[in-house]
Amino acid sequence: MASSISTAVPAPQQAAVSTQDELTQKIPTQPLQVTKRLEKFKTTIFTQMSSLAIKHGAINLGQGFPNFDGPDFVKEAAIQAIRDGKNQYARGYGVPNLNSAVAERFKKDTGLVVDPEKEVTVTSGCTEAIAATMLGLINPGDEVILFAPFYDSYEATLSMAGAKIKCITLRPPDFSIPIDELKSVVSKNTRAILMNTPHNPTGKMFTQEELNAIASLCIENDLLVFSDEVYDKLAFEMDHISIASLPGMYERTVTMNSLGKTFSLTGWKIGWAIAPPHLTWGVRQAHSFLTFATSTPMQFAAATALRAPDSYYEELRRDYMAKKNILVEGLNSVGFTVFPSSGTYFVVVDHTTFGLENDVAFCEYLIKEVGVVAIPTSVFYLNPEEGKNLVRFTFCKDEETLKSAVERMKQKLSKK
Amino acid sequence: MAAVQWKLKQAADDKFCNDNAAEGRRMAEMEKLSLVAKALTPSPIQQLSYLAQRYNAINLAEGFPDFPAPPHIKNAAVSAINSDFNQYRHVQGICDHVARKMKEMHGLDVDPLTDIVICCGQSEAFAATMFAIVDQGDEVIIFDPSYETYETCIRLAGGVPVHVALEPPNWTLNLDKLKKSFTVKTKAIVLNSPHNPTGKVFTKDELEIIAGACQTWNILAVTDEVYEHITFDKESHISLASLPEMQKRTIVTSSLSKTFSVTGWRIGWAIAPAWIASAVRNIHIRITDSAPAPFQEAALTALSSPPAYFDSLRSDYESKRDCAVNMLAEVGFKLQFKPKGSFFVFAPLPENCTLSDVEFVEELIKQAGVVAVPGCGFFHTTLCEENSSPAALSYQRRYIRFAFCKSEDTLAAASRKLSKLVDAYAILVSRVRAIRLGRLVSKNSCFKVNSLISCYVAHLAILLLAQKSEHSFK
Repeated sequence: MASSISTAVPAPQQAAVSTQDELTQKIPTQPLQVTKRLEKFKTTIFTQMSSLAIKHGAINLGQGFPNFDGPDFVKEAAIQAIRDGKNQYARGYGVPNLNSAVAERFKKDTGLVVDPEKEVTVTSGCTEAIAATMLGLINPGDEVILFAPFYDSYEATLSMAGAKIKCITLRPPDFSIPIDELKSVVSKNTRAILMNTPHNPTGKMFTQEELNAIASLCIENDLLVFSDEVYDKLAFEMDHISIASLPGMYERTVTMNSLGKTFSLTGWKIGWAIAPPHLTWGVRQAHSFLTFATSTPMQFAAATALRAPDSYYEELRRDYMAKKNILVEGLNSVGFTVFPSSGTYFVVVDHTTFGLENDVAFCEYLIKEVGVVAIPTSVFYLNPEEGKNLVRFTFCKDEETLKSAVERMKQKLSKK
Repeated sequence: MAAVQWKLKQAADDKFCNDNAAEGRRMAEMEKLSLVAKALTPSPIQQLSYLAQRYNAINLAEGFPDFPAPPHIKNAAVSAINSDFNQYRHVQGICDHVARKMKEMHGLDVDPLTDIVICCGQSEAFAATMFAIVDQGDEVIIFDPSYETYETCIRLAGGVPVHVALEPPNWTLNLDKLKKSFTVKTKAIVLNSPHNPTGKVFTKDELEIIAGACQTWNILAVTDEVYEHITFDKESHISLASLPEMQKRTIVTSSLSKTFSVTGWRIGWAIAPAWIASAVRNIHIRITDSAPAPFQEAALTALSSPPAYFDSLRSDYESKRDCAVNMLAEVGFKLQFKPKGSFFVFAPLPENCTLSDVEFVEELIKQAGVVAVPGCGFFHTTLCEENSSPAALSYQRRYIRFAFCKSEDTLAAASRKLSKLVDAYAILVSRVRAIRLGRLVSKNSCFKVNSLISCYVAHLAILLLAQKSEHSFK
């Protein structure tokens, strides 16, 4: 039973082993919601690939954070807040200035008017918004529908909440929503649908038609929607649509977002959840016991960031589109099958033309022989087999880095 | 069910004032919350601080400093932001420092590579620990009174909190009570020392009792040691993990917040044997993924502070403690138990005061412009108590927690305001008795606290006005 919690760590000494066994006997053997479920969630694939990358001096197009920094005006706002003494506990659900800025931005983006005091909750990144939403609104045994491939924390957080996962797989080339399949998995136990648009890892953006179909389903069956929209400002091929703005949807939607991707400050951990008061209440309760409050100086800076003029967002999109072109052209020329990515800073490709047996093998080969890191997408599926032909590249790197990576692949990657 | 709810929604939209429909919708909406969320109530500490804000009261309630954080640490954070330490990071150096400190303070050998998890504050470290070790139905023992969050974290993880009362006036640990609280379902015990709200520092003897119980019953211990560097009168903080046979079954949680006066930075950690630490880490990664990067960097500077920093932290807080204790004594509190650690005084109401803790604090806000925390929020009905009766538990409405993590100016101002109240107060006490007797006798007595307060507030206002005309304010 030691395996129910332990992961690959150095073997403990003799005395400790017997204690570990004694102690783990206290943990029941049946598949309980927490410890047993989390057995498969060991060190994340990202950490593993990053370690391998460092070892081989590979260019990291795996992990989704920039190798350039955030804008000066936001950093300066944080520094000013620290100097002004804003270093103690913020109000649990957010510094009022930030809550207002979030509400203002949401109105600009969706036309929806929300009450910053009752409908906005600030969290330690969107990751915590997701965790608080699950724990605050999902009961053990509730069914939650998920779209694979999915960001890797979704499955683990749903397990923590004791939810039963129903998974719909999105398939290449366009990863569109199979609406009939979606309808077929809805049951009387279904509590919510968890969606992510623009979508990590595929870059797919949910279309108006798809959102309409999901909305009808939710209204008909009285479902909630948890919508992760962290990449909403990285929408290139079409406009981002928040499902909360569809008729009948705001009252049943939790819209989640964060500062990190839009402002290249992924380490600041400022996120938020926007929801009607009766849903916000559950999110806030869970949040207040998960982290109690979010880092104060960064919240002040985030308020400044969110009030950035439209020109900031236009420039952001232009920069990222240029980076995307470099990467996509490179990947195409090397021989990958590149699937169209409408948003985010990710692109998924089919690697099978290079003759490796699966995505993990291909990524290891890519690091060791070519010197470039990608992420094997099988980790984003409930059934890893479904992802074995695909790997994910990111283009949130400066142009030089992208060009170097493309060069390396042109020189060293050969089809089999 | 869905159709009914849809109809209710339509009705509510069409006729907003229709009580039935609105109520129906409210009921339907409440169903969306998880069972745990529905059972929770808003934090009493936060509610009172809203009232205090309205009255612009001096805040001796909330446990965070109103003086600036140390400059060298703020500079380190600024420098980190400027040096582009702004993306997802794990700063291993924090683990190295924490391991070193555990060796220096407690003689413990901790592996910085496997035994330490950096989290968003001790809050998250504790929450992640509960999710790592508590299964549905597991019992977790907590000493009462206790910080409000422990119980809720345990429930969120599916566990059952079991409270063991520390005995007033000195908050002593009763071995029999402790023994009686263990069952086959007990998974862990939570120990907060130095202790919020009492300021108690658990002694070596008490820790040995707790350690013995942990071993006899083969359970885990989770400690909250955030006030580890704030102890007085030459008292040392001893970590439960440092007792023989305890390291392998203890998860220590702590943070930068109280030691370095940066409660808003959210940098904390959990220390545990590798097999538990890795579970805590896996959960932390799914709750927040990482702690704020620039503050992790600044933590390196903080944790490298020289011994002189910790010495002056201790002596500064000791003089603040003395100031707070004197201030309360002058106002009529009889403090049998002086805090030995943390930055709180848990003061019992004077015997002749017939107000409850909540009533007293509301008066304190409105009449003296000072806010503290009524102790009732820290007490929980002790189900394990064989002799629990309303009378036996009446002390739970008799304590007020005052925080002294405030500047000298704040403490001096609070002292002045409190001493003005005390003259009027003696008269107030006897008046209140009369009011209450009258109400009990009245046929229409509807004994609500609010109406009682407004009644004697009026009396107090008259008294204070009378005083004003006689004395000039300084």
